[in-house]
Amino acid sequence: MPIYFNDREIVLPGQLLSDDSRRAGEGTYVMDGKVYAATVGAATIRDGKVEVITFRGPYKPAAGDMIIGVVSDIKPIGVEVDLGGHVTALLKVKNVKELASLDLKVGDVVYARVSSSGLKGVLLELNEQFKKINEGVLLRMTPTKIPRLIGKRGSMINMLKKITGCNIMVGTNGFVIVNGPSPAKEFAAISAIRLIEREAHSQGLTDKVMAYLSKLVGGEVSHDTGDKA
Amino acid sequence: MTQVIKPKLIDENGIRLDGRGPTDLRPLRIEVSVLEKSDGSAYVELGKTKVYAAVYGPKEAHPKHLAIPDRAILNCRYHMTSFSTDERKTLGMTRREIELSKVIREALESVVFLEEFPRSAIDVFVEVVQADGGTRTAGLTAASLALADAGIPMRELIAAVAVGKVNGTIILDPSDIEDKYGEADMPIGVAPESNTIVLLQLNGKMTKDEFRHGLELARMGIQKIYQAQREALRRKYGASTTEV
Amino acid sequence: MSFLPLKERSFTIKIMSEKIYKLLQQGKRIDERSPYEFRKITMQTNVVEKANGSALVSVGSTRILTGIKVELGTPYSDRPNEGVFSVNAELLPLASKSFEPGPPDERGIELARVVDRCIREGKAIDLEKLCIIPGKMVYVLYIDIYVLDYDGNYFDPSVMSAMAALATCTIPKYSATGERVEGENIKVPIRDVPLSATLGIIRDRLLVDPCLVEEESLDTSIVVCLDSASNVVAIQKNSPGHIPFSLMESIINVAEEQISKIRAQFKEVVGVG
Repeated sequence: MPIYFNDREIVLPGQLLSDDSRRAGEGTYVMDGKVYAATVGAATIRDGKVEVITFRGPYKPAAGDMIIGVVSDIKPIGVEVDLGGHVTALLKVKNVKELASLDLKVGDVVYARVSSSGLKGVLLELNEQFKKINEGVLLRMTPTKIPRLIGKRGSMINMLKKITGCNIMVGTNGFVIVNGPSPAKEFAAISAIRLIEREAHSQGLTDKVMAYLSKLVGGEVSHDTGDKA
Repeated sequence: MTQVIKPKLIDENGIRLDGRGPTDLRPLRIEVSVLEKSDGSAYVELGKTKVYAAVYGPKEAHPKHLAIPDRAILNCRYHMTSFSTDERKTLGMTRREIELSKVIREALESVVFLEEFPRSAIDVFVEVVQADGGTRTAGLTAASLALADAGIPMRELIAAVAVGKVNGTIILDPSDIEDKYGEADMPIGVAPESNTIVLLQLNGKMTKDEFRHGLELARMGIQKIYQAQREALRRKYGASTTEV
Repeated sequence: MSFLPLKERSFTIKIMSEKIYKLLQQGKRIDERSPYEFRKITMQTNVVEKANGSALVSVGSTRILTGIKVELGTPYSDRPNEGVFSVNAELLPLASKSFEPGPPDERGIELARVVDRCIREGKAIDLEKLCIIPGKMVYVLYIDIYVLDYDGNYFDPSVMSAMAALATCTIPKYSATGERVEGENIKVPIRDVPLSATLGIIRDRLLVDPCLVEEESLDTSIVVCLDSASNVVAIQKNSPGHIPFSLMESIINVAEEQISKIRAQFKEVVGVG
């Protein structure tokens, strides 16, 4: 397929990417049979499709996403959860008894799975993965950087957790919870997360974060974190 | 009663009051991501004109009953600070600001993929901190960058510039004094990749030839502004991928 | 009549309030500052040439732009020998998702009035020197404050930027008979520089210069404005909630200490203090 960019090249809205309109992926649009970038991002080919990995952008809910959200309203039909941006999700309950058993109040933070996202809005699932989060610092990140925070097969996030000793929960919607054994370790994790957000698209990020953290946390840092970016 | 003496805006050699020729743009400076709290932002300086733009969204449309089922509402506010003009501007929205908010909004609506966000709102704010001519076009230029900075999907950027007419000569990018004492002022907003006009107004009088000439001159100026927009985006977003 | 601004009908995120308090008990804050530490302050003057005076001040990510326009006018009848000034403030919707477009709501009006009191009671401007012809012609200063970016605490940078704009403000010179002296400008006569510190209170703990995330978790907050002799020239408890009497002594002392640091920086950048 004829393409007009180098892999990972920064492209801007309206930039011509390809002549093959059948292979238009995320972050692109088709006009007159050609594929153009719709956002500022890194252009690449994934699963045979031309895609723009948007640098900054709103969260697009999808079934299966694990999210972190803030309870914004409690209604007889269920609990409304703010996921940031324009997305308010609903955790449906069967009855008032189930609602009461959840013991949720406005301002509480929850971790849940998105069961569906469509005409009925974004619905959350009340299953064994559902959790009320009782402690920690709530951070907000651009949702587009979350995959980088997690890393290939969790390599980045596991490295962070290991070195800082913090429990870090990541929501696909860009919300992150950090809870650690001491303020110093929590601050280390938080600044590492901010570093990842700032430099999500650079090469060698895993090494950079590791070096940064070892300075903050001190002591030996092991290199067995699996895949490096 | 004092007489208003109209200054001579352009001399026999085509040199304007600030030393520019008829086809010269003023010094241009563009930055993106200049404000922290908004989802996207940009700053444009064209000569002494200084404009910020910020975008919030997509977000929940309020009030809910005004939400549109199949697309986002784009709201736009063009506003000037009280000290941006020679005479202090009264607080509150003037009729001019309301009109300019509308034409800027309509220009932006032409390129944003509003269908991607049903029932939501995208708010665009243009704030003129210093006004020396060409504020709405600088504002539109900044607003389209702020939308791109926010990652809101769009067909392309919009670049805008004004042309004017002084002492019978068509000029590019009139300053405030050229606008005030000139014979015409024509702001133009263009989607440069599709080569289409998304904002067009005329205040004054031009012959048909002057109008055609003005459009051509604008296209030239737009190319320079579009180039500067792209450079600003690349400076902000390109840097992070050059590391190895 | 006071309606809670629409966007402020938002809830506190409980785990954040608890974390912020827990950190405070250990003498730490969520952005790694110590409890009485201000965020980084930057000040720039003469940023808008069309204004007679202007200043852009940042405290952390909160950014305030103040501009001053000067006109000629008549004095108040009960103060015939004094120039006139007024302060306006706008919480621009650019700055925060909780600022709606429209005329200033109660927060913007409060900000303007408190800054006005800081300047007026702090005797910052020598108003008698702004009189041209007593009873007939005086300078009128419009001090207009715009919040461009909001990450908590708009009061302190507003006072700073208003004072910095005043201290670098130039006005056209007029003779004693009211004639414009062509080509000559004078500076606004400054007598003192009142500056402020905003303190947040969570249970029994004090913190200075709350960032946005802290503001959302505070029990209450208070703005203290002092002149260069540390006289208290304005105070505003600007939030619902309780302040124990026992905390007031610390509030004033902490405010004094932090304001003197800001004053030193102000003097270095602006030239007066």
